Amino acid sequence: MGTKVETKMSKMSREMIHLLGNYGHIGFTFVAAIFIGLAGGIYLDQKVFDDRTTPWFTFIGLAFGIAAGFKSLFDILKQQEKD
Amino acid sequence: MEHPLLFISVILETLGLPVPHGPVGHGLLEQLCEPYMTYTWFTMIFLVVVGKMTLGNLEMVPGKGQNFWEILIGGMENFFLENMGRELTDKLFPMIATFALYIAVANLIGLIPGFMSPTSSINTTLALTIIVWVTHHIIGFRASGFAYLKHFLGPMPILIPLMLPIELISNFARLLSLSIRLFGNIMAKETLLGILFMLAGAFFAPLPIMILGVLVSLVQAMVFVLLTVVYFTQANEHAHSAF
Repeated sequence: MGTKVETKMSKMSREMIHLLGNYGHIGFTFVAAIFIGLAGGIYLDQKVFDDRTTPWFTFIGLAFGIAAGFKSLFDILKQQEKD
Repeated sequence: MEHPLLFISVILETLGLPVPHGPVGHGLLEQLCEPYMTYTWFTMIFLVVVGKMTLGNLEMVPGKGQNFWEILIGGMENFFLENMGRELTDKLFPMIATFALYIAVANLIGLIPGFMSPTSSINTTLALTIIVWVTHHIIGFRASGFAYLKHFLGPMPILIPLMLPIELISNFARLLSLSIRLFGNIMAKETLLGILFMLAGAFFAPLPIMILGVLVSLVQAMVFVLLTVVYFTQANEHAHSAF
């Protein structure tokens, strides 16, 4: 009796959940990747090399972080294509 | 801002236990009495007691309580089956379903005056996220042995020095984004409700935010579970690299 209504509703909400899950975290993942890269670079500069290399590892870390951010975007796209 | 009135903290204080007023308590007892800890225990007890009360003994013809749980658990299992396949679902269903129920209840409980969401503390969400993060690596290693490390090496050997840091950073970004998204959303909901109660609580100002709060709570629980499922599935796949 209720199955028809239920399947229709659950299909719609399932699609909604999928969209939210797939795209809802894009912004946060991108930012998190950049910050982790930057933090790693700053850590290398200040703690490991004692300020001798100061701007360089920060920049390298930032570049890697940005690259990682774009890579995670690319992964999300790839995942979406597969479905 | 006014301190919210949390009834478990009030009870503990009248019992003579130290309840910290800052964000972090000093000493083990004070840390155990922090609101997010006590409300985590409350949520767990709530889930266990409600489960016991509504599911006393299983019957062939389900009553009201059993019907509710059958729809909930059955729906979740179908969802996991679609995304993860039979084998992983059988192995991990208890864990992920528990996370889903716990996060949903923990988010929603904060809407009731006198309660707070345990998930509005970064400690709770980070703990949940670390469990998920470690588990997805364990799944990866169990599925493909040391070949799992190929997930982090990129498509070809020349690119390893470039791809290894990128993959590691994006893997650690999961840890950060999964925990901070849940924490941020719920903390924002709680803080906004608190401020609106303080400013114009007598004029029902927090009411629209409460409606949004229900939505945010359920959606964040769903997103956490969905991302957990996606990470587990990805870790379980074999890396398709050229070498």
